[in-house]
Amino acid sequence: MEYKAIDIVKYYGDLKVLDGITMDFQPNKTTCILGPSGCGKTTFLNIIAGLTDMDSGEIIGFENQYISYVFQEDRLIPWKNVKENIGFVLKGKMVESKIEATIDRYLKLVNLEEYKYYYPKELSGGMRQRISILRAFAYPSNVLIMDEPFKSLDINNKQIVMDFFKELMAKKNRTCIMVTHDMEEAFTLGDRIVILTDKPARVKEIIEV
Amino acid sequence: MRKYTLKDKRLSIISRIVLILIWIVLSHLIDNEVIFPTINSTINSLIDIVKDPKFIIIISYSLMKGLIGFFISLIIAVIMGILSSIFKIVYHIMAPIINFLSSVPTMAIIILALIWLNNEIVPMFVGFIMVFPILYETVLKGILNIDNKIIEMAQVYDVDRLIIVKDIYLPSIFINLSHVFESALGLNLKMVIAGEVLAQPKYGIGSSLQLQKMYLNTSGVFAWIIIILLIVKMIQCLLSKMKHILGANKWKG
Repeated sequence: MEYKAIDIVKYYGDLKVLDGITMDFQPNKTTCILGPSGCGKTTFLNIIAGLTDMDSGEIIGFENQYISYVFQEDRLIPWKNVKENIGFVLKGKMVESKIEATIDRYLKLVNLEEYKYYYPKELSGGMRQRISILRAFAYPSNVLIMDEPFKSLDINNKQIVMDFFKELMAKKNRTCIMVTHDMEEAFTLGDRIVILTDKPARVKEIIEV
Repeated sequence: MRKYTLKDKRLSIISRIVLILIWIVLSHLIDNEVIFPTINSTINSLIDIVKDPKFIIIISYSLMKGLIGFFISLIIAVIMGILSSIFKIVYHIMAPIINFLSSVPTMAIIILALIWLNNEIVPMFVGFIMVFPILYETVLKGILNIDNKIIEMAQVYDVDRLIIVKDIYLPSIFINLSHVFESALGLNLKMVIAGEVLAQPKYGIGSSLQLQKMYLNTSGVFAWIIIILLIVKMIQCLLSKMKHILGANKWKG
């Protein structure tokens, strides 16, 4: 499968945010998009995910595909436990018995079975973000989009969650597109790093790690 | 925490004992059964009321009216709240109605209800008018306060709209409603009884209260007040048991 973004242009009113961004994404590899805060990285991700319209350009490979998304915040539903939160995104994608089996399989994969019936309020920030990443992996998609998923975590939790992500990537490969403004994160997790300029964002450099 | 709970319980028992002592002292000082009855005469009246074969019927009628009125308010509030959150026109039509219902004095509504409606329906109508604005606004708040980020997450994961309604919107509405459920139900019962006092349906706590007042049987009025307090307490216990059984607050940690 080929995933590409070609000559993406986006304006917010008169303000040009994205200025002809072109890049391709290697299947089953992690592409890190690195750029200064507020340069339009999230807008670019939202265009790929179909959440935001672009003014011109072309997106190839993402249409009619299930896409997993990890946000800056965990975005877990407070009144649903871990099992129900993961199950929520799987409903309609597979039969009920398979949902349960999938949740169990993924929780077991990362040794988090004991948290199956925990509610978000009962979990630490790092643990909630791990569940959010696990939800993204349990979802039957080929593409995983991550928007600064470690931004809200303290340094200890950040390392734990990054290791957790690496462990999952090693076990369950996905074509991952991750946005960050942290060089260390990009070089630790990325197979390819795309550096964007400040607004309006253009591709400045592509580094193969 | 446990210490505080025990302390609270002890304080609550002490405050009740103090109230009873004030009652005893006041009734002795006033020494007039019509103005301020003693505990003994109130207990005697209470026994007479409870022994009356119509007692259960009277209570059942008031409770039935209260519950029917409350559930009608609840159903209409949920429907109108959902419609208001979807259609701006409904929201703008409802705004002055809710404003009117919230600001017009209760007595004015009861008088109008007495003119327009059958005596048996007036208490239910009064309860409905008082509780509906509270429930409607709670439902609307439950929908409008849903975290948009959660909805965005559901859309990214291509979750079916019906599932979003069932798993996000409805629970949010019911969580909000659960916060006001007890007080709204209590208010509804009080309004039904107030409506009965004036409308005088054949059976009803309010009608019985009015009858005791007509005979200047103040101890009977006190006895009915005690019965109402006990009924409200029982409803509160029942609701908190139900909440516990359903695990409604488990997720709050």
